[in-house]
Amino acid sequence: MIDTATYLYAITRPVPPNALDGLRGVADAPVRTIDDGELACLVSTVDLAEFGEGALRANLEDLGWLERTARQHDAVVRAGMRLTTTLPLRLATICSDDASARDRLHRLDRVTLDTLAALDGREEWGLKLFAPADGAAAPEVLATALSGAAYLRRRRADLEQRDHAAERAIEDADAMFRRLAGHAVDARRHRPQDQRLTGAAQPMVLNAAFLVERERVDEFRDAVDEVGRERGEGAVVLTGPWPPYSFAAVDAS
Amino acid sequence: MTGLPSPAESASLADVLERVLDKGLVIAGDIRVNLLDIELLTIKIRLLVASVDKAREMGIDWWEHDPTLSVGQRDLAEENQALRSRVAELESASHENGQQPKSSPQESRRSQ
Repeated sequence: MIDTATYLYAITRPVPPNALDGLRGVADAPVRTIDDGELACLVSTVDLAEFGEGALRANLEDLGWLERTARQHDAVVRAGMRLTTTLPLRLATICSDDASARDRLHRLDRVTLDTLAALDGREEWGLKLFAPADGAAAPEVLATALSGAAYLRRRRADLEQRDHAAERAIEDADAMFRRLAGHAVDARRHRPQDQRLTGAAQPMVLNAAFLVERERVDEFRDAVDEVGRERGEGAVVLTGPWPPYSFAAVDAS
Repeated sequence: MTGLPSPAESASLADVLERVLDKGLVIAGDIRVNLLDIELLTIKIRLLVASVDKAREMGIDWWEHDPTLSVGQRDLAEENQALRSRVAELESASHENGQQPKSSPQESRRSQ
């Protein structure tokens, strides 16, 4: 058994026996639980040829492997979320065997247990806000003939205008974050994703996660819809419910 | 269990990677690979998490609204601007000398 290891997906409250039957995780390995009575850990047995240190380092460099594995990891965490309170673990958390994984489960600290308790009955929703489509059209006007000095004045004004536009976007994102946080029990900001990745026509100005009481999800979604109506098509993207990835660790900020 | 459809398939890769690589609880396992040491991941994560204030440093300048401006073209634009500054200096100098400012259409056209 020396050529296998135990891959950990999430810490959960105990799940009913057979609840995960048929579920497959990373490398299509069957998912099972390690249970200590109070807590459970969702795990799979994986091959060290794929998940050993050297292999893992190489595989993580392979975007195809990374995407597949990330989605499989996420699918298992989601399955846990549908059953009970689930604390997601970071990708590629691997113990040498079940005994070692069980040992980790026993030694979870108070903070982690409190974190799990804080997630009971709550779910994560992701919200992205994109900059409005108008504004910043000014530079194109420069096709008109201008003298060198006039060009420079114009150029300076353009740069200032862009600085103001960036400032306004940041203030706007701050205000939106506070407004929606009012409908959530906790909220975190992630850094906005690069436009080259989103492929969106407009830059992302806010990338946030909200921890929402399950009974208040409708209220939260109404609040997001309202923002959507104010901002227009495509300005607001809501994703979820997510497993509470963004609230699994103590906020460093 | 809720009746809502699972968004697992529709979640963008960026959203999933951002969460599974950068969020989630960290428990030190027996097999350790520092995700941030991975060259490709470092690049990927930088792309994922370019902040508005870092964007300019990275040369993204999204508020320029000019996604086609490549690095090479940017150099050209800078050079162009330097030339314009020089032209402006010469213009104001010739003004002081009481001469007619010369201006060719080329000078005022925006860089390609």
